[in-house]
Amino acid sequence: MLSFTLGKLIRALTVLLGVSFLTFIIGHSSGDPVRLIARGDATEEQRAQLRHSLGLDRPVLEQYRIYVGKALHGDLGVSYRQHVDVSRLIALRLPNSLELAGAAFVLAMGIGCALGVLCVIYRDSVLDNVIAGLSVLAQVVPGFWLGLVLVLLFAVHWRVLPVSGSGDLTHLILPAVTLALPTLGRMTRLVRGGMLEVLQSDYIRTARAKGLSERQVLLGHAAKNALLPLVTQAGLELGDLVGSAFIIETVFAWPGLGRMAVNAVQQRDFLVVQGCVLVIAAGFVLINLAVDLLYAVIDPRVRGRS
Amino acid sequence: MSFWARLIRCPPARRGLVMLLVMAVVALAAPLLAPADPWKVHPAARLLPPLSRSAVDGADALGRGANASGNGTNASGPGADASGNGANASGNAHTGAGATTLHLLGTDSVGRDVLSRLIYGSRVSLTVGFAAMVLSALFGSLIGVVSGYFGGIVESLTGWLVDVQLSFPFLLLAIFLLGALGGGTLAVILILALATWVNYARIVRAQVLSIKNQGYVEAAHATGASVGRVLFVHILPNTLAPICVVASFSMAQAILTEAGLSFLGVGLDPSTPSWGTMLNDGRDYLLTAWWISTMPGIAIGFTVLGVMLFGEGLRELLDPRSLR
Amino acid sequence: MDHSTGCDSEPFPDGSGRLLGPARNRRLLLRLSAALFLACFAVISGGCGSHGERPIVVASVSDVSSLDPHLLDVNHPTGSVIWSLFDSLVRRGPDGADLPRLALSWERLDDLTWRFHLRTDVKFQDGSPLTAADVKFSFDRMNQAPFSALQQLWQQTTLQEVRIVDDHTIELRTSKPSVTMLYWLEEAFVAPKAYYSTHDAAYVNTHPLGSGPYKLVEWIQGDHVTLTANPGYFGGAPALKDVVFKVVPDLSARLNGLATGDIDLALELTPDTMSQANTANSRGVETLGLRKLHFGISQHSSVAALRDPRVRRALNYAIDVPTMIKSLMHGSTVPLASVVNPPNANPDLTPYGYHPDRAKQLLAEAGFPNGFDLDIDFTPMWGQDKDVSETVAGYLNAVGIRTHLHADEWNDFRRKLTDASFDGLFYAGWAALINPAVELVIFTCHQEDNASGYCDPKYDELAHSVSTEFDVTKRKAEADAAQKIVWDDAYWIFLWRAPLYAGLSNRIDYTLRPDDYLEIYLAKPRP
Repeated sequence: MLSFTLGKLIRALTVLLGVSFLTFIIGHSSGDPVRLIARGDATEEQRAQLRHSLGLDRPVLEQYRIYVGKALHGDLGVSYRQHVDVSRLIALRLPNSLELAGAAFVLAMGIGCALGVLCVIYRDSVLDNVIAGLSVLAQVVPGFWLGLVLVLLFAVHWRVLPVSGSGDLTHLILPAVTLALPTLGRMTRLVRGGMLEVLQSDYIRTARAKGLSERQVLLGHAAKNALLPLVTQAGLELGDLVGSAFIIETVFAWPGLGRMAVNAVQQRDFLVVQGCVLVIAAGFVLINLAVDLLYAVIDPRVRGRS
Repeated sequence: MSFWARLIRCPPARRGLVMLLVMAVVALAAPLLAPADPWKVHPAARLLPPLSRSAVDGADALGRGANASGNGTNASGPGADASGNGANASGNAHTGAGATTLHLLGTDSVGRDVLSRLIYGSRVSLTVGFAAMVLSALFGSLIGVVSGYFGGIVESLTGWLVDVQLSFPFLLLAIFLLGALGGGTLAVILILALATWVNYARIVRAQVLSIKNQGYVEAAHATGASVGRVLFVHILPNTLAPICVVASFSMAQAILTEAGLSFLGVGLDPSTPSWGTMLNDGRDYLLTAWWISTMPGIAIGFTVLGVMLFGEGLRELLDPRSLR
Repeated sequence: MDHSTGCDSEPFPDGSGRLLGPARNRRLLLRLSAALFLACFAVISGGCGSHGERPIVVASVSDVSSLDPHLLDVNHPTGSVIWSLFDSLVRRGPDGADLPRLALSWERLDDLTWRFHLRTDVKFQDGSPLTAADVKFSFDRMNQAPFSALQQLWQQTTLQEVRIVDDHTIELRTSKPSVTMLYWLEEAFVAPKAYYSTHDAAYVNTHPLGSGPYKLVEWIQGDHVTLTANPGYFGGAPALKDVVFKVVPDLSARLNGLATGDIDLALELTPDTMSQANTANSRGVETLGLRKLHFGISQHSSVAALRDPRVRRALNYAIDVPTMIKSLMHGSTVPLASVVNPPNANPDLTPYGYHPDRAKQLLAEAGFPNGFDLDIDFTPMWGQDKDVSETVAGYLNAVGIRTHLHADEWNDFRRKLTDASFDGLFYAGWAALINPAVELVIFTCHQEDNASGYCDPKYDELAHSVSTEFDVTKRKAEADAAQKIVWDDAYWIFLWRAPLYAGLSNRIDYTLRPDDYLEIYLAKPRP
């Protein structure tokens, strides 16, 4: 188990290095920050001075090495546009992102599981079909469009929820629901499919035949085996929620990492982009690591396979 | 019964296929179906609600007779008129002074016909979705086959690539690269392909691993078949079915992502009639002219639904456990 | 939508299609799912906080870029917040008039020397008094990197030296006569020497200390800036105590917030949505702005036709500006009649008008009877960029010019502006101000704002003497002559002055300035 964990950890670190290097190279080739900051008629001397003070006159690889060295100490540089520490900017936004992604995750997992189970209970009934239809719909409707429509209905028409921004928990409802919907749809179907599959497998029949109570069958055998694919999927979905939330964040003016990153890309504020990508990637890698370890705990066979 | 025959008998797949065929026909026959030129602006006929009529000036479609139609006030058109519209698809031709054009789904913020743009937009969405799907299927499958077949260092390396790609917040990468590449349809296709190849690589690798040691592959090896022959004749065909399933889902994803990118204002040429750009155009008019962004939203939903139902059918038909 | 029926999958063993035998289990699962539902709602709906006395909320599209007064880059929102936190020697009135602020009065000692008499009752927000040394420190700071890369005071006025005469008197010496001295001083803000020379740049950027009518409470980057009234302000504390500058990029969200009463001043609305600003809680207000919207015509273009004045005139004749104003702008503005704003505009110039036949004739005369290919760039900066560009492209198509539209990110666009590297037309706004000397600068050779790349020595001479000539009559004659060159040779496709649209809640009264700056300290609560 130790070597398994260690192996996974090293892999995670190399992945992070890869991501940061990729971002660095793309950012570096996408434009000169000095042209961003300086006024158009700034003299060559003023520009050179600025370039030097930003450390941009060094070779690329050395810049990268310095960046990584500082990043390990929590220093992600200073934003070219807002002249504020990138780590401070991220610290301001990260809790909002986590709040939104967390709420959406809880919603999607909770309601998704509940609906999936309902479908299993009332299999082939009207309810099953309605839920199945809705769960497909949730996956095919573009989230940003749905967000706009929800704002129009709940915030403008009925005035029951705030339009946008962050604040008390009522601000969270619309963006969280909008963000959760596609995941919710997928979870519902996954839970339904997984449970059905497990319930018709041989060993459940055996368990029933052995005279175990249905409760033992469901919770002891079926749930555990239906859980495995769910854990992987849930991990992927959580990473997805954090990483892809920014269209929703834009629609609802939710001050999260994603929106900041997109703004930074458009403003060529490269250090901010780099910082955001690194944090999001780190989150994703961590989640995957957790999933892998969890998986290994649930299913010991995995340990041997890696 | 062949695989495809069974597929057609499966209701969700059949429904999906019909929906896709409808969209394909619309896309192919766009010039015949569209009641008006989707690019022609008409400043005097802006923001007309569905079922309105606008005057068509004989001399030029810019409608310099500004008073010919009040701005959004002449919402006429009982539903009955609408039916005849598809038949006389002569909107492209100038119909002479005094004639009017019926805007079944209204006009947008510069007076272009929404229905016509929607019809032409299906070309963009389907092309982009399909091309991205094919490209990423080719690339992803190749990576998957190679990594599954050779194993060892190749497998570790491709596995690492997959992990890096998965950890990278993809849409950010897309916006980043589109800024650098300068947008355009081809760039969008390439980037969407880059987004989804991982799915193929994983599935194909798993398939290859399970097939690799089966009798007939080993037999092929024994008879002295080359590695390439083994890969392409004996292994790849057996991975085709799961690739198709992944393909249908990633096409759905590609269509949605293209819309998302256009919604953020990056990607396609701004005047291209694509559903995503239309959604973006309509965003500021949500309160005043809902039809501009609602219609493409429905179109996207419809197409993605078709693709997904088809994929769902495929998946049900194959072993559901091996996928996802 | 059923998933598996008919798809060759096995029916369930008992053939009933029902999975769970005993009803007990169904209840168990039901209870399980109900519990999950409830848990979700508990997490999501939680407690709802209640509001106390709400601050005034100003909603803008973007965030301030810095709170360092010498990193000011755009009028709004950065400029508006800096104007609230800091003071300049001279205040620019909404009509362009030069009014006293930190300076009570000023005089020109000779063509190259200005003397300013400072107020003696001004205190910074930490209680220290303002002296001439703070003014000298601030102006000198504007001449150092990185501030010098953004501030134009020294360069535009040819400022040479800032001299302290006594604690409340200061002299500025220039190398050439400068008509625009007061204009540039209006954007030169005074920061306390003691504080700004002892703290590093990153710290003062987020912890500003000025003498202005408002103090900073917090700046949450990308979300909002909160200000509170400065009770010790020399001009008296502003009427509104707490003000929040909030970032709300989405137009619909700004309008919705106005309707629900969450936003008190929604900026950057559009003509099409103005009617939506009139709600039970709010009303729409508009003012004719000073920014001149136009299409720049690149002279570095690969399209040789653009260097022919006849072609440029044809472009102007081809576009139906009155119809566009009527339909796109809802009649809220007027066609441009010069590159200089009233009241300084040359009164002899009149708009080109819509004459497509004359346009075609001019194109034929210039040797382009079949038109040519033309790129059009636009960026989301001046409002309705896409609608205007697409409509103009439509008009140009109608006279045979084949257009290709490009939507640029603002930063790419800005780079092309400063490099003068557009290849065709570009949609832009110019000079939201009333000062012919500054407005005419745009067509002088190699000037940074000269994005089209015109270079006419005769024009240069006129524009230059407009900015150095103190004689009013002479200056007016030269300005008129320069404007006539621009107009007759059709340096731009002239559109209209950009109107400003905003929504005001019923809680406040405020009159918009035509130059995009927002002086929130002048807003009043509504009785």
